[in-house]
Amino acid sequence: AMAGGLEPDLAALRRELSGPAALSVVIALIAVAVTFLIWRFVQGRRSSRKAVLLLGLCDAGKTLLFARLLSGRYRDTQTSITDSSATYQVSRDKSTSVTLIDLPGHESLRLQFLERFKAAARAIVFVVDSVAFQREVKDVAEFLYQVLVDGTVLKNAPALLIACNKQDVTMAKSAKLIQQQLEKELNTLRVTRSAAPTSLDSSGGPSQLGKKGKDFDFSQLPMKVEFVECSARGSKGEEGDADLEGLEKWLVKVT
Amino acid sequence: LLTAPLPQERGGNNSFTHEALTLKYKLDNQFELVFVVGFQKILTLTYVDKLIDDVHKEFRDKYRNEFQQKGALGLLNGTFDFKDDFMRLLRDAEESSRVRAPTVMKTFEQSLKSQKTVKCMIETRGEKPKEKVKNKKNKGSKKEGTEAAAAPSKASGGDKQPPASGEKEELTKDEILQKNREEFFRRHMKAGEKSRSPKPDTQKEKGKKPRVWDLGNSNAKVLDYSNSATNGSAEACPVEEFDPDMALGDKNREPGRLYDLEYESEDEAEEEKVVQNTSKPSAKKGGLGGMFGMLKGLVGSKSLTREDMDPVLEKMKDHLIAKNVAAEIAVQLCESVAKKLEGKVMGTFTTVTSTVKQALQEALVQILQPQRRVDMLRDVMDAQRHRRPYVVTFCGVNGVGKSTNLAKISFWLIENGFSVLIAACDTFRAGAVEQLRTHTRRLNALHPPESHGGRTMVQLYEKGYGKDAAGIAMEAISYARNQGFDVVLVDTAGRMQDNAPLMTALAKLIAVNAPDLVLFVGEALVGNEAVDQLVKFNKALADHSMAQTPRLIDGIVLTKFDTIDDKVGAAISMTYITSKPIVFVGTGQTYCDLRSLNAKAVVAALMKA
Repeated sequence: AMAGGLEPDLAALRRELSGPAALSVVIALIAVAVTFLIWRFVQGRRSSRKAVLLLGLCDAGKTLLFARLLSGRYRDTQTSITDSSATYQVSRDKSTSVTLIDLPGHESLRLQFLERFKAAARAIVFVVDSVAFQREVKDVAEFLYQVLVDGTVLKNAPALLIACNKQDVTMAKSAKLIQQQLEKELNTLRVTRSAAPTSLDSSGGPSQLGKKGKDFDFSQLPMKVEFVECSARGSKGEEGDADLEGLEKWLVKVT
Repeated sequence: LLTAPLPQERGGNNSFTHEALTLKYKLDNQFELVFVVGFQKILTLTYVDKLIDDVHKEFRDKYRNEFQQKGALGLLNGTFDFKDDFMRLLRDAEESSRVRAPTVMKTFEQSLKSQKTVKCMIETRGEKPKEKVKNKKNKGSKKEGTEAAAAPSKASGGDKQPPASGEKEELTKDEILQKNREEFFRRHMKAGEKSRSPKPDTQKEKGKKPRVWDLGNSNAKVLDYSNSATNGSAEACPVEEFDPDMALGDKNREPGRLYDLEYESEDEAEEEKVVQNTSKPSAKKGGLGGMFGMLKGLVGSKSLTREDMDPVLEKMKDHLIAKNVAAEIAVQLCESVAKKLEGKVMGTFTTVTSTVKQALQEALVQILQPQRRVDMLRDVMDAQRHRRPYVVTFCGVNGVGKSTNLAKISFWLIENGFSVLIAACDTFRAGAVEQLRTHTRRLNALHPPESHGGRTMVQLYEKGYGKDAAGIAMEAISYARNQGFDVVLVDTAGRMQDNAPLMTALAKLIAVNAPDLVLFVGEALVGNEAVDQLVKFNKALADHSMAQTPRLIDGIVLTKFDTIDDKVGAAISMTYITSKPIVFVGTGQTYCDLRSLNAKAVVAALMKA
């Protein structure tokens, strides 16, 4: 009877011991798995850079360019107040695709959206309005400067294309002229910006753009910069196709 | 509409006026749509709100698939043939507003009043209801305020005057008298109570007890000056022991030396950490909070409603106000954030609090980075090329630090190699010109002409006290042009924003001299006053200028920033009101205490609990 009494006790005891032990092992395994998943998720977000950003001032033609690249058709667009993203098939035979992200150019919004998407950028298309360029050269240079001195952009060094849009208009400036003017303006800007009073919490000042002593040149940047002329509207008006060959070729090259 | 209120966080109320049009809009945050109805300002259309709601519902239901499945491509490629539906909805709305028959006046029989009196009469008499009751008796009843009293009072009135129409015949006089007597007694009882109730209050107050202070109980005797003998006589004062050690404090101090304020550098490190934390993706942070939070919020596809957000927004509003943001701006900001988030679908692992905080943080950063950044050096170089001086005017209320910051800015400009002419247009305050002269002397000592190729970097242009400021400014600018100075800094007298003649004088100075930059100097300690100051300054500048596009304030200099720890709300208030950037931040009284604003750091300090 004693042995009989002990038996179920021992069995119960063994069950008790194995119960919490097994439970704790299971919990530990789940925790490890969850941590591993979270780590992969965060890693994935950081390392996958499959996005091509469309940046530029207001009314540069980013949203129309976006629409043309994706659908080939002309659409009436309004000032964007939020980003739009879609996957773009880079070329018909290969199956590589990138995510095209069209960011708003409005002054209050542009930096905020740039912050959000700059880490995921593999390439940046900076759209410039070639017609209004003479008037806007300072604003264009300022925005370009802000993009170029950004820490994440300098670290990742995504390929940069400066798309001189609106070439269908006769008064449009050529890409060469735009390049020269931008280089001059950026040259002045880097002097004035580095001489500005330091910021409140004295975080590191603006990084130096290009080489000191020499005039600023786009070849001094760590990333590859190209200039291309394009027209999102197309020379035949709204019905015809857009002249985007240079842009599309560059996209193929970059991906 | 798209370039002004929505991006700049003014989307609190949902209508926007532009020239002759009024635009009413509605945001659908779930699918990121904006519905706008425009109509002429002079029309008052009552059906607009309803129309927008109907259009919103129908559009969303009809094209729900395209939004949900195809995203941006769906928007691009889809054809949204909504015109017929829209016309139909518009017609329905117009008809519903038109079809409303003119209200027919109710007859007296239908009105509630007759029924009331009739009911009362039913209660008292139990006979068939009377219809006609004299109106003046009803008026008398209004004074009493109770319906039950109405009938007897009317009846009493009717009793006092012989009933003219004779309907009161059914109420016998005795009955009426009795009812009246009852009513009378009742009323007097009530009045008696009322008159009795204030009496005990006065009784309580009669015996005045000495007031007992919680913390000063021990000194009751000392505070008792009722004994006139001790009052005013010197010997009665207890002799205090004068302890020189206590008075002078630290024994080891050197006589005459002023010690520095100890400054902990941990705050800076903390601020930097906070800045870095906010730049990391916030999903992880939200995830931890969400996991330990309610299980309902874990799995996504929960859309935010106003009720969910209200308590959080209330808390955030109070937090902002505690951080010295002006009250009305905090309210408007929270409204705008609420409008932006209403109906939005939250992702997985996010709580309502974290979503709202994130949205508010983005809104604040957006406000602090307004339209065009003022790059003074760049503009000065431009003006240099055109051989004319760059004119900057400083305006503000009294005592905010105009002259001090003017000196700091001229030091900075000299360091960058530009020559400065200071125009002393403060002809009112005693010592203003001398103050600027001292600064000029000091700056010239720091940067002597020898080290800058023989030209004086700083010079003061003054004409003494009591003269017209606008005239002095004009002369100073032409002097600078002749002598080849690069920058002219014009110092004006401080003035209160509701001092109309002084505001007119300032507006005249700015309108006549057309400076390149008008800087408003405001101190960071200001609270709700900031709103009033900026609005009135801008209004004065706009009203008194003859030009089509008047020169308004172009930038803000935020001074005395070292006196606030993290109550940095004044920055938000000022940039929100003017939507102009904060160009400089003053953090002290030496020449090197000039900084530029770092939006993220300020917002981090603001959101820090």
